[in-house]
Amino acid sequence: MTTAQAIIFDSSTLISLAMNGLLPELKNLKEIFNGKFMITKEVKYEVIDKPLTIKKFELEALKLKQLLDDKILEMPKSLGIDEALITKKSNEIMNIANTTFQARERDIHLMDMGESSCLVLGRILDEKKIKNVLAVDERTMRMFVEKPENLGSLLQNKLHTRINSRRENFKYFKGFKVIRSAELVYIIYKKNLTKLKNGSVLDALLWAVKFKGCSISDKEIQEIENLS
Amino acid sequence: MQEKENILRILEETKQAIKKSDVMKLKELSNQTVHTASITQDPDNIATAVIVYSLSKIIEKGYYRPLKWEKEIFLNIDNSIRAIKKEDEFKLKKSLGAFRKSLERSSKGLKDYILDVFRKASINKASKIYEHGISMEKTASLLGITMFDLASYSGQTGVSNVPLGKTLDTKTRIKFAQEMFR
Repeated sequence: MTTAQAIIFDSSTLISLAMNGLLPELKNLKEIFNGKFMITKEVKYEVIDKPLTIKKFELEALKLKQLLDDKILEMPKSLGIDEALITKKSNEIMNIANTTFQARERDIHLMDMGESSCLVLGRILDEKKIKNVLAVDERTMRMFVEKPENLGSLLQNKLHTRINSRRENFKYFKGFKVIRSAELVYIIYKKNLTKLKNGSVLDALLWAVKFKGCSISDKEIQEIENLS
Repeated sequence: MQEKENILRILEETKQAIKKSDVMKLKELSNQTVHTASITQDPDNIATAVIVYSLSKIIEKGYYRPLKWEKEIFLNIDNSIRAIKKEDEFKLKKSLGAFRKSLERSSKGLKDYILDVFRKASINKASKIYEHGISMEKTASLLGITMFDLASYSGQTGVSNVPLGKTLDTKTRIKFAQEMFR
C-alpha cells in the first residue's frame, strides 16, 4: 500500500500537545488520517530519549514513546528512508540556515538538528510524491520557511544591530507548508475528536497550546474562533 | 575577544550593583548579556547572563547574606576578571563555573533554593534568547535545558504576539490542515 500523505512533527508541536494532555486526541486524529504521522530520529531524541532521563518530563516522554510503539508516530524507515541520509542532509541544511544571517560580521546560528531534519524529510517526501505538511509550533523555523525577511527584521529589532542576509540561501527553505498544534486542535474540535463538549472548547484548546509554546498570537486565536 | 570584553564590563558593573543591592541594575546587566549571547552564542557570555540574573533573584528575595556570601561572590568575580585580562579561557570557565557551587557551599540550608534559582535563571535567559529569534531547539541546547522547559515558559511570555511573527494569514494555514483531513 502506498502512503498518500504525511504530517512531519517537529519537537515543539509534540511538546505542546503532550504537556496539555492532548495525546489521546492526537491518536484520534491519526485514526481519521489517511497517511502517516512522522518524526525523525533527531526529533525522537528531543521528545523521548532525552526527557526520559529527566524526572520532570519522564511521563510525557513515556506517553510519546507509547505513540511510537503503537505506530501512531512513525519513523522515516517505515517508508524505507535512510535515517543516516536524513542526518547528513540535516547537517547541510542546518549549515545553510546558520550562515544566512550575520550580525557584527558573524553568522548567527539559528537552527539545530531536529528542526533541520524535519525540512529534509519534507523534501524527501516531496521527491517521493508524498504530500506533506510540517507541524511546527516554534517561531524561528516557521519564519525561516515562510518569511525569512521578517526573521531578518526581527533579529535586527531585537539585537539592536544591523543584520545582513544572504538572500540566495532563502531558496533552500521555500515551498514547505507549515501548520501548528493550533490548526490540529481546530481539526480535532471540528471533527468532534475530543470528549470535551461543554463550554468554549475550541477557545480552551487554542489557549492551552499557546501557553505551552505554540507561536500563535491572541489575534490569530480570535480569527480561528471566528472561522468555526 | 569582543564577547570577553563584554563579560568584563558586565562583571565589573555587577560588583558595584551587588554592593548597592541594586536588583534592577543586575537584571538590566543580565539582559544586556543576552544580546551578545544571541549573536555569539559564547558559553561564557551565556553563563554570565545566568549568574547575574540568579544573583538578582537571590538579592530580590532577601536570601542574600552579605557577610557569608560577599567574600565568595567577589572572589569569583575577581577571579573571572583576572582570567579575562590574562586571556585565560580555561580559568575563566572554571571561575564562572564556581559561582553556583560556592554559593551552595556557603549556604548549606539553601542548597535546593540556589539550585532552583540557577535552573529558573537558565530557563528565563533561554526564553529571552528565543525571543531574539534563535530557534527553540538551538536555544534549549545552548542553555542546557529541555525544550519542554522552554516551551512552557516562553508560552507565557508575549513572544507569539510580535507582529513580525505572523507569516501567513489564518485562513490559508487552516486550509493547509483541512486539506490533509479531507
